[in-house]
Amino acid sequence: MKFFRMRKVFTIILFMAISLPSLMAQGNRDFMRESGKIYVVVGVIGLIFLGIVSYLVYLERKLTKLEHQLKDDKNEWTN
Amino acid sequence: MWWKSLSVVILVYVILAGMLVPLKPGITHISPQTAKSGSAVTIQFHGYNSFYTRSEASGIRVWLEFDSLHALAGQDIRVLSDTAIEATFQMPPLLPQSSRSVLLNAIVDHPSDGVSLLPGALQLTLDTAPATSPATASWSLNPVIDLHIKSDFSFPYRNVIYESIRNTYFHVPMWFVLMFLFIASVYFSVRYLFDPKPDFDRKAAGYAETGLLFGGLGLVTGMLWAHYAWGAAWSNDIKQLMTAVALLIYLAYFILRRSFDEPEKGARLAAVYNIFAFASLVPLLYIVPRMFASLHPGATGNPAFGSEDLDNTMRLVFYPSIIGFSLLGFWIAELRIRYKRVEDRAMGLD
Repeated sequence: MKFFRMRKVFTIILFMAISLPSLMAQGNRDFMRESGKIYVVVGVIGLIFLGIVSYLVYLERKLTKLEHQLKDDKNEWTN
Repeated sequence: MWWKSLSVVILVYVILAGMLVPLKPGITHISPQTAKSGSAVTIQFHGYNSFYTRSEASGIRVWLEFDSLHALAGQDIRVLSDTAIEATFQMPPLLPQSSRSVLLNAIVDHPSDGVSLLPGALQLTLDTAPATSPATASWSLNPVIDLHIKSDFSFPYRNVIYESIRNTYFHVPMWFVLMFLFIASVYFSVRYLFDPKPDFDRKAAGYAETGLLFGGLGLVTGMLWAHYAWGAAWSNDIKQLMTAVALLIYLAYFILRRSFDEPEKGARLAAVYNIFAFASLVPLLYIVPRMFASLHPGATGNPAFGSEDLDNTMRLVFYPSIIGFSLLGFWIAELRIRYKRVEDRAMGLD
């Protein structure tokens, strides 16, 4: 359940990251090419941040699974 | 631990300095971009990040330069705004070389902004019609001299990439981190072969996995930058191709690890494979790309970055960035390794 919700959030973020610049480009001029292409740098920093955070989320999910496993094992021993 | 806090401090400095330090002034374009020899043309110079009104018009000088000996100086310079200068040029009736047209560089020398240059700004074509400019117009009367070279704290201005030169502090360090992590990985793989302790295998796998994460980030950030600097996210550039191959080789390392029922056998084979993967990484990332033409800077020959691509101000941000991202990479790898250690103990494998 939680896994699928997480996946949905990431799909939305990914979709936004891809479509946002082109959506803004349709308005006036190319948004990403304005202000000396500074938003390319913002995009690169954002991608690095998203990449590292998604790796941390992946690690946390594995850790949660392990914690549950350890708790179950403990319960079996005590019972 | 101290190095983890250090990585945070360095990365905060890198992001702040990398985003806030201004670019040097430059020339985005001039108009018109074509002219005929023997005519008098009024040309507008459009500046980027420039402050032309901060100085008297008499102190500003502009040139259209062919080479160090052949240049035309602009007359009656008028400052229109902070980013626009107008000047009149008397084009000589003959070109400095025997061809139908030449490309001239635009140069603006400003007392407080310093000097800025736009290569190949104007195409001057040979006109056989009678000249309207005075016969005194000559290529060698006004050489480009006495420039105001500024050495303030600012990043170089480059056409086409403009502000995205700042990506040097975020995209390039990804590949340095990948290299450091893969070196750590192969080091522990070798140690595992000599002394098969599960801890060495966990470290080799953890460093390789984090290295792969940074490789993927380097590839994706590079594609975003390439889309706006080269016109296409993927243009089969030699470095793009070779890094993609290198990442696939390392991806296979993880598939190999998981395809054995006995963990010890898998670990041993993976360690051997890791050494081969690392041995292929060096030619793929450092030797082959230098043998072919590439869109990347400094592709042919050594070093990978020339002084043209990295000036002293950029070094003050670029080197800390490598250190900061490397420490962050090792921090993430450490978490991965500690997780695996706990898991192995819980499963009774260690």
